[in-house]
Amino acid sequence: MIRRLLLALAVVLAAAPAVAQDTPKRPYRIYMALYRGWEEAAQGFKDYFTNQNIPVELIVRDAGQDREKIKGFAAEAKALKVDLVFTWGTSVTQEMLGPFDAPDPARHITDIPAVFAIVSQPVGAKVVPNLESSGRNITGTSYLVPVETQLNLVQSYRPFTRLGIVYNPLEKNSLVAVEELKAQGRSMGFTLTAAPVDVVDGKPAPASIPAKVAEVKAAGVDYLYIPPDTFLNVNRDILTGAALEQGIPTFAAAENPVLTSKAMFGGVYRYYTVGQLTAYKAEQILVHGVKPADIPIDAPKRLSIIINMPVVRALGFYPPMNLLGVSEVIDGGEVRP
Amino acid sequence: MTLDSSRSLLIRLFTLAFLVLVPPTAILSLVALSDFEQGMIPELDRKAAAVGRDLAAQVERAVGYGIPIDRLVGMDEFFSPVLEANPEIRYLAVTDERGRVLFLKGAEREALEPHYRSADFDLARDGRKASIADYLDLALPVAEGGRRVGQVHVGFDAGYVRGRLMGILYDVGVVAAVSLIVAFEILLFVVFFNVTGPMKAVGHILDQVRRGDFSRVAAVPSQDEVGRFVRALTAALRSVDDLYRRLMAYIEEVKTAHFDKGVVERVGEVEARVNFLYRFATAGSPKPMHERRATDIRLPLFLFVFAEELSRSFMPLYVGELMRPIPGLTPELITAIPIAVFMACIALATPYGGRVAERLGSRRVFLMGMVPALLGYVMTGLAHSVYDLVLWRAATGVGYALVTMACQRYISKAVSSEARTQGLGVFIGAVLTASVCGTAMGGVVAERFGYQSTFLVSAALVMLSGWMVYRLLSGTAEESGDLREPSRGELAGLLRNWRFSFLVLFAAIPSKMALAGFLFFLAPLHLAAAGFELGDIARTVMLYPIAVVLLSPVVARLADRTGWRAGLVAVGGIVGGLGLVAPALLPGIWPVAVGIVALGVSHGLSASPQLSMVPDVCWIECRNIGQTNVLAFVRLLERLGSVAGPLLAAAFVPVWGLSGAIVALGAIVLGMAAVFAVVSGAYGSGPHISAEEVA
Amino acid sequence: MFWTLSRKVSAALAAILLSTMVLTALFGYHKFHDLMSAQVGSRYSFVVFTIKKNVEDRLSLGLALRQLRQMQDIVEREKVGDANILGIEIYDAKGEILFNTDRGGIGASVAPEWLEPLKGATNHPFALRDEDNLVVGLPLVNTLGKVEGAVVLRYPAAYLENELGDLLAKLAAQWSVVLAVFAVIGVVGALVLFRPVGVKLRAMETALGKVLAEGGEVVPDPGSADPFDARFAEFAAKTREAIDHIKGATDEVERLDRLA
Repeated sequence: MIRRLLLALAVVLAAAPAVAQDTPKRPYRIYMALYRGWEEAAQGFKDYFTNQNIPVELIVRDAGQDREKIKGFAAEAKALKVDLVFTWGTSVTQEMLGPFDAPDPARHITDIPAVFAIVSQPVGAKVVPNLESSGRNITGTSYLVPVETQLNLVQSYRPFTRLGIVYNPLEKNSLVAVEELKAQGRSMGFTLTAAPVDVVDGKPAPASIPAKVAEVKAAGVDYLYIPPDTFLNVNRDILTGAALEQGIPTFAAAENPVLTSKAMFGGVYRYYTVGQLTAYKAEQILVHGVKPADIPIDAPKRLSIIINMPVVRALGFYPPMNLLGVSEVIDGGEVRP
Repeated sequence: MTLDSSRSLLIRLFTLAFLVLVPPTAILSLVALSDFEQGMIPELDRKAAAVGRDLAAQVERAVGYGIPIDRLVGMDEFFSPVLEANPEIRYLAVTDERGRVLFLKGAEREALEPHYRSADFDLARDGRKASIADYLDLALPVAEGGRRVGQVHVGFDAGYVRGRLMGILYDVGVVAAVSLIVAFEILLFVVFFNVTGPMKAVGHILDQVRRGDFSRVAAVPSQDEVGRFVRALTAALRSVDDLYRRLMAYIEEVKTAHFDKGVVERVGEVEARVNFLYRFATAGSPKPMHERRATDIRLPLFLFVFAEELSRSFMPLYVGELMRPIPGLTPELITAIPIAVFMACIALATPYGGRVAERLGSRRVFLMGMVPALLGYVMTGLAHSVYDLVLWRAATGVGYALVTMACQRYISKAVSSEARTQGLGVFIGAVLTASVCGTAMGGVVAERFGYQSTFLVSAALVMLSGWMVYRLLSGTAEESGDLREPSRGELAGLLRNWRFSFLVLFAAIPSKMALAGFLFFLAPLHLAAAGFELGDIARTVMLYPIAVVLLSPVVARLADRTGWRAGLVAVGGIVGGLGLVAPALLPGIWPVAVGIVALGVSHGLSASPQLSMVPDVCWIECRNIGQTNVLAFVRLLERLGSVAGPLLAAAFVPVWGLSGAIVALGAIVLGMAAVFAVVSGAYGSGPHISAEEVA
Repeated sequence: MFWTLSRKVSAALAAILLSTMVLTALFGYHKFHDLMSAQVGSRYSFVVFTIKKNVEDRLSLGLALRQLRQMQDIVEREKVGDANILGIEIYDAKGEILFNTDRGGIGASVAPEWLEPLKGATNHPFALRDEDNLVVGLPLVNTLGKVEGAVVLRYPAAYLENELGDLLAKLAAQWSVVLAVFAVIGVVGALVLFRPVGVKLRAMETALGKVLAEGGEVVPDPGSADPFDARFAEFAAKTREAIDHIKGATDEVERLDRLA
């Protein structure tokens, strides 16, 4: 008995300094570099740790859409000796993490593990060589729903043969979307009616939108596709309002036209979910000691399908039961599972 | 009533056994089935309610979003997964508040709508149950804003339960059929052992006495009516013997003591006359006559083979369960090894068993064989790796060889006076019926109680069979046979006879290869891989012995009548090969069953002609080294096929898969059979000596 | 009592009948039990599945499992609906029970083996056994594909016996009656079948005794086509003849012996 007591005492004494240094609840320090302020992805990232009871100390820096501001982030993160860096958006990620083939240890984060989110083309932006593995000390998430997946979702609502799109010819995102839809149309067997909005003084004219919607309606389209386009996002009320007036069901590739306007339904990865998934990968690195290079870059498993019920009722164009069962339904401004 | 021939008595007894066994099983099965069905219905109700509530909630949600109930979309796709996941549910439907069918999947609208129209759906929350034709219909309300707008219907069908419960009948049927056969075997034994056998012995005594021979009495130890009668008979004989002894003693006394030579001479004449007319035992009293009967060994042999066949249909699966990877060997090869080793041990131990049986007598060798067999079964059941399993299977193989050789010798000695073919019939009959019963029963037992317990059942059966031999078979000394050991040179000479070596190489070996490689190895694995349960696997494998049992007697007669032996062997080989190639031509799993039946037909056709062909093709050698030796040599050689079959099959599996391996094995068998078919044309009909020594 | 032929055969028949009936009853009942357990299991899996869907829909809105307070009401409502449900529990990936129909159990930890199924396929229900309870459960998966925990439902292992006790008792009674009736049929049948054998053997024995004691001969039943009878008659005659002859010879020897 006494011997055991002495032994226990000895263990405690020997361990004492280590215990003091390694407090079990010492929070992980994460440097969050944002680009457009605190939004849903960042919130999802933060909530994940709260939900999982993982103590974290978040050091939040916002570039406020100013590329110049990003330049100091890497140095600061290194100086703070954080445990992990979170980068939001392509600009921040490129600036802080550098290209995969030639990162500059002086300029970029190389020793500290990092996770990125909301980078539309991680491979194209040379952040990673491929999505299976970054081959270096970073990993991340993708957030764009592949066009094919979106179209399959539209098909599952109701099969279609004609798809309409109204787009901004000056925005690269829109042009890419039109090209991709054309290609998919060939393989999936639908025709695309694409109507570019008028350009006045080198700028797209919002006033021309209703006419363009009428134009695609005249072509007999089954759906109007709303691409992830900044101009259309700004003018979403005009676009979706016109479509509703014309009685065209609308599918949006981004969440705003559905959540805060009159698009009928959409299929997106919610930024919030993407933020959570990014945090999950951070957990793998911080808590479970998985090497970032061993964690593939992927999107959430489950697509968020959002259905705008008032619009559905106005159109009398009802969703199939199974789709309804897996969708988030917005009814009277409220989201219901 | 004929006492020393059992036919009519046995037929009546079998009828009695049938009447006592089959009706109660049938009555109780039917009663139980309907009770079980009633017992399951409340449970189905609950399931329907659970599913219905979930569906109603989802429909209610959709209606709550303002979708009119008659304009719900995608209901087919909505219903499908539910119907697929719950096979007892036959249809799902949504009706409006007046009972009009809006959406329906799984049944005809016309069958249901009239009932819905007339029904009152002012339902309580937990719905309303109704019986519509064969369906049981549960209707649950769908409400919107406190108003009922329609119903969700879940229909299940009582026939589904009945169908599932019918599976019970398969098991019950197997048990009943096996019981019936076992009952026949036991009654056969009881009657032969207690009535027919002793009465046959009595018949011999009667015949001897009719010829004036009083030297022997029947030895019947039993206490029953037959025993009593035999004792009375013996008492009569003993009293005659007594009188004779007294007379002889008197004569002896007169001869030694009397002074008158004339009297002595006259007395000597009397003595000579009595001894001329009658024969008495030379020793002090009549000798009890022990008669060996082939049928005495039938039940122990039946039980022993039954024990081995129990594991027939699942041995490869059992090995698979014990398997740990062994570097350098594929899993299939590891699975095949215990089967191949078992076969090899039988092959190697059989000649030894024959010699030992010759030296020590059948009873002792039978009991000797029980030891490794019993140990083998118990330890196979307790095995924890493939390594020790191989060892225990080897022990079982040795035991199996000893016991079967002991039985064969017992029979061949017993029937020396009777027809030899009849004796062989006892042997083959016991082995085949045991094979049918054992395989079927093994599957049922293993499915219910597991592999281990099945091996313990085998061990118990072996013990029972050993006990019977120990108690019931007399251990009288046996006259030693004059089995001459053939030299290596003589056996090699046999191989130089091209007719003989072609028969062995292209008929005997491939047939065993198919048996061990396909039936014992690939078929169970393939059936198991296709999701069959053990009982069903066993019932499929059982098709083989059934086909053999049905075909063998017919073919044997045909072969004897027409003498067309080589042809039957060739046709048999080709049928078997074609059956095994079936999976290449037909889709799915049932070609395996085709292959099993074809193999049964094949062996039914070729096994006995093949055996009786041997003396045909090498009658000179048979005369020189003895037919028994030649046949034993054939057995040894064909077992090469039994060993090679599983190993070959195992080598094919990684390359072509299970189905492909069957086809590949079949192709080899078919090719060899084709060679034999071509060559057999050149056999001609050589000089024939009667197949006298088949054991 | 000794073992007459009919007794031997009846004993054999009765033993076979008994073992057949025991085996068929055993197999039949087990198969039924399996079917019925599968049915009960599938119903409870379905209940668990609806709860899983409910939880996962809420998880996909980004809520944490432990925040889904409505689940407590939902599991309690589910339990109230079925008296056979002993309890429903939802626990997280670390094994802490978050919601439980038995409120006292909230916050406790589940047995470590309950965490095992969370490592496997997430769409298949798992089954566990907890003392006298059977447990079915399904892992809960969030939108990230990560297993957050599991929902399990426990019901008594004796469920079937409780539900079917009367039925089984009735069947057992029927079983015994049928067994007894057919055992009697077997005994009577064997008696009837072997009676003639006994009678005939006794008749032959008597005839033999008579021939040996008083002389005369055994007359084979003229109606019998059995060659055995003729052989037996011949045997009796021969035996009698031998006795007579030996007795005659003895007399002769005696006479010769006295002659001197």
